Amino acid sequence: MAKDARDSWGSPMEFVLACVSYAVGLGNVWRFPYLCQMHGGGGFLIPYLIMLVLEGVPLFYLELAIGQKMRLGSIGAWTAISPYLGGVGLASVVTSLYLCLYYNIINAWSFWYLFHSFQSVLPWAVCPANSNLTGPLEECEKATPTQYFFYRETLNISPSIEENGGLHMGQALCFLLAWVITYLFIVRGIKSTGKVVYFTATFPYVVMLIYLIRGMTLHGALNGVKYMFTPKMEELANPTTWINAATQIFFSLGLGFGSLIAFASYNQYHNNFERQAIIVSFINSGTSIFSAIVTFSIYGFKATVNYETCLERYISFGAAMAVEGAGLAFIVYSEAIKNMPLSQLWSVLYFVMLLLLGMGSMLGNITAIITPLRDFKVVARISDEVFNGGVCLLCLLLGLGFTTTSGNYWFTMFNDYGATFSLLFVVLIEVIAVSYIYGIRRFEKDIEDMLGHRPNWYWKIMWAGVSPLLLICLFVFYVVNYIQGGTPTYQAWNKDLGKSEQTEYPVFGQAFIGLLLVSSVSCIPLTALYVFCQRKKHAQQHKQQLTVNTVAA
Amino acid sequence: MFYKIVLFLCLPSVLAEQLCKPNAPDGLKVRLSIKTALDSEAYEWNRNEKFLFQATIAFAMSQYTGQEFKVSNILVCDETPRVSFWFVVTSPANLSQLMSKGVVELAVRKFRNRINNAFLLSDETLEFVGVLPTLASPVEPATPPWLIVFGVMMSLVSAGIVFVLVSTVVQNKRKRKQKRDDQDDDEETRVKTVENGCDGVYNTSFSEDEPNTRM
Repeated sequence: MAKDARDSWGSPMEFVLACVSYAVGLGNVWRFPYLCQMHGGGGFLIPYLIMLVLEGVPLFYLELAIGQKMRLGSIGAWTAISPYLGGVGLASVVTSLYLCLYYNIINAWSFWYLFHSFQSVLPWAVCPANSNLTGPLEECEKATPTQYFFYRETLNISPSIEENGGLHMGQALCFLLAWVITYLFIVRGIKSTGKVVYFTATFPYVVMLIYLIRGMTLHGALNGVKYMFTPKMEELANPTTWINAATQIFFSLGLGFGSLIAFASYNQYHNNFERQAIIVSFINSGTSIFSAIVTFSIYGFKATVNYETCLERYISFGAAMAVEGAGLAFIVYSEAIKNMPLSQLWSVLYFVMLLLLGMGSMLGNITAIITPLRDFKVVARISDEVFNGGVCLLCLLLGLGFTTTSGNYWFTMFNDYGATFSLLFVVLIEVIAVSYIYGIRRFEKDIEDMLGHRPNWYWKIMWAGVSPLLLICLFVFYVVNYIQGGTPTYQAWNKDLGKSEQTEYPVFGQAFIGLLLVSSVSCIPLTALYVFCQRKKHAQQHKQQLTVNTVAA
Repeated sequence: MFYKIVLFLCLPSVLAEQLCKPNAPDGLKVRLSIKTALDSEAYEWNRNEKFLFQATIAFAMSQYTGQEFKVSNILVCDETPRVSFWFVVTSPANLSQLMSKGVVELAVRKFRNRINNAFLLSDETLEFVGVLPTLASPVEPATPPWLIVFGVMMSLVSAGIVFVLVSTVVQNKRKRKQKRDDQDDDEETRVKTVENGCDGVYNTSFSEDEPNTRM
């Protein structure tokens, strides 16, 4: 019956575009260019591409295979692999939930900047006058107009995480809009998502191409590109370079959230996902490199024209880019845009691109929550529209906390701790479970069933050996870093000095970080324990019944 | 007699020299950068321009204080060819008394725009040293422009959602109606066969309440 049959993509193209739209996100535009120049320009591409081959593509393939074979969301799929591993799926759902809560805030900021671009003078280009009109506002003068616009007008940020004002109404409205649009895109499940991704996956490339042409025609652009591509080979000896490359590949592909499993579960059984996995992974990395070229051509222009000497000033500016969080990238990019002629047009284009990238990723994030939950019979009875609306409403209400005056600090906390450590753990368990608990042989046979041929030796070596080893290294590195780092800190905006200061998290903040980490990771052992107890109970009951029957007989 | 007249005539200028001197407590220094501002259209600074300056200051003082100031109340001294000079303002009531610097400053600030425009200069190129510039008061429209764009987007998206939900409901209704029609058709044909072929035994194991077989 049509009602019981699973939804499916309109065409394999929709699936590929959905994966591209999900994987290509804000990190490709912001984090990769920063990592590139921090680790020796062109030389960084070597560890980056090596990690793509060793870790990125095999793990991507693995998740797609599981989803397409089991035809269930992450919870159902992992329960099918082994009943004790249902917790892996649950951990993915919890992590996706955290991500959904805070990710749409970035889209809200993009909307805010987009709407403010429709003015004759961009509001972040000049400082507003103070109350007696004698000069610019103090806070704005001490910082820069772009920083002021972000911290004061966009966020109205409080001095620390402990102090909280109320909601920032403008932010809250943009946040509401972001969720309403997300709902519109997923209202009918993948039937609607499949149509939307034609646009969200392709239009950002149009904008990036326009920016590339614009960037290349700017004076001094080639200096920036030359700088970026001049390899500094000595960086390759630094282990941090390799770790950062591995981490970037890992997070950029969006592994472990369950989105890929969810998307693949709607595929036709014999869909050739092997080719699609390779295509999407390479498109993702290619986009990172492409956006790095665009970014550096624009920086080259800025540095050459305004500062005459060198990129160093912008390198230090850019060095702060990823370290201090997504927000700083709004400041850095809007700074570059305001100096271009026709800056309103460029601003609109840029923020539309950010929105499409962000929305595309949100589609994957929210599908990762909805698909596994819909596998439960209790939920399947509720109609698509109502259930999806319920999930969006819940995330909207919980996420409103990020639009308060201290909201950006909570956002940074979620961004740094909500999905990093737990994902590494989840994917490590995933790859070990498939390779050793489910068994490579069984997995091979499943793939042969779906594709018609077995995966060759390269894939098997990666799944069984290389990728788990790499993940263990990353995992150990993160743990050591976390312990060595001492008390976790965040950047608090000091309005009197007009800059950010490193501040330690208060006790409740640290406790919350611990809660974030534990709540997702603990799903795995707790579920295993729960299933174990349930089985023991059933076994006991079954035994009792047998004895009763024999007695009766 | 003649000498008395000459002395009397010389007195104001002598007094002026004494009242107006560089770094006078109630004096203000002015710097003009005409070349910077106007480039090829720069005008020469001469006596008549100085007269215009005195006139504008007198205007500003008169408007601000309500007292009547004349050009002769504005004393200019220490002129330099790059165009900078000091000036003081004497009180119209008593020529030997100076107006306080504070009052002069406030008057200048209030009418800064008019003074600037008389010389085709701006706050940076016609500089009153020590006097803070008055920035144009920000133009604030009744509805902030971003809210308008937000409103447009929000209405479009809400319309989209309403459209999708309504079309889903309509589709469901149509499907249910079709199902009911199919059911009625099946019942009719079954009734007919029962009426026509009464010889055979009706196979009741063929479930009646599931007219459509589940796949």
